[in-house]
Amino acid sequence: MDDPVADIILKCAAQDRAAFGQLYRDTSAKLFGTLLRILADRSEAEDALQEVYTRVWLRAGRFDAAKGRGMTWLIAIARNLAIDRLRARPPVTSDDGIELAASPEPRAETRLIALGEARRVSDCFDTLEPDRARAVRGAYLSGLSYADLATRHAVPLNTIRTWLRRSLLRLRECLET
Amino acid sequence: MTDTPLTPREEDEAQAAEYVLGLPDLAERMALEARIKADPCFAALVTAWETRLAGLNDGFDPVPAPDLLPQIEARLFPAAPRPARRSLFWLLAPLAAALVLAAVFFVTPREAVLVATLQTEDAALTYEARYQDDTLTITRVAGTAAAAGQVHELWIIAPDAAPVSLGLLADAPLSVAYRVPPKGWTLAVSLEPAGGSPTGQPTGPVILAAQIGA
Repeated sequence: MDDPVADIILKCAAQDRAAFGQLYRDTSAKLFGTLLRILADRSEAEDALQEVYTRVWLRAGRFDAAKGRGMTWLIAIARNLAIDRLRARPPVTSDDGIELAASPEPRAETRLIALGEARRVSDCFDTLEPDRARAVRGAYLSGLSYADLATRHAVPLNTIRTWLRRSLLRLRECLET
Repeated sequence: MTDTPLTPREEDEAQAAEYVLGLPDLAERMALEARIKADPCFAALVTAWETRLAGLNDGFDPVPAPDLLPQIEARLFPAAPRPARRSLFWLLAPLAAALVLAAVFFVTPREAVLVATLQTEDAALTYEARYQDDTLTITRVAGTAAAAGQVHELWIIAPDAAPVSLGLLADAPLSVAYRVPPKGWTLAVSLEPAGGSPTGQPTGPVILAAQIGA
């Protein structure tokens, strides 16, 4: 399959610095949007963006185009870094913080009617109970933790965990078939 | 809904999915990251979930990013060899590379390697810098964070080069993607206003410094 981002990452793996510049120009808006959505803090997102591209250069040799698309690999690095940072933050106890964690509505997800992968994920999400599908999307797109979800749904953390794990396994079944 | 316990295979699948979604707290997340590094089967489950959920990536709206490429390149490629030394450098580079490879091959540290200890004379404030898997981790092992309104900022300084910021030191260890810091380079901590140096160079007093390999 045509994957121009993967081609550039492979050039980076070959220590091509010009390709690295091109990769930044072509993909930084998507990765910055990802970091900004999860971290919700512009200066921290800028800091994280530098970190992400540093990792990308250092790990480019481990990218395997046979295992997935270039953009998927880049976003996984950005999401992981953003979630690491989010979890390392001191716990927020004020009401404001809870409000912030609970506020992002699945505005963007409604546009998930694109082709291919997105369509299949979307179809399979439709097989889940709506609140569980929302929880999975909230975790993926906004970096909500089990603790955030427990607060949001006002149920014990272990309850959330039990039903979300079941939903994830069901999602996997649906996506495999 | 059934409440039968998960099978070991389901348990692994659930943990991989939870990791990719980012649901666990910090302690559990760190444990899962350690498992990803140590267990290729589990790492493959994680990769499969990343691919499986990639369709959700459409939900991330692009936002034009500032041009941070110069800072990123300064971190990755600091202090290019100066022209006068270049011929010698290129002559020796293959040999050096071979030695490094040999060293990596034979040492292959499983534990993070201590590369520098930065401390005050009385050791009241101490940071340790460790390196593993392209990651430099700086942990405060004694003392306290900077007073309110200030922050400790970490710098790496190549010989004859300007300091390059590696980030701000808070209570949690700071992990930055980095190559093996070369011998003779310096790690330093300066006291900066909250949010870090506004200029990109140290503005406050340098309170700690240590040369790598000293």
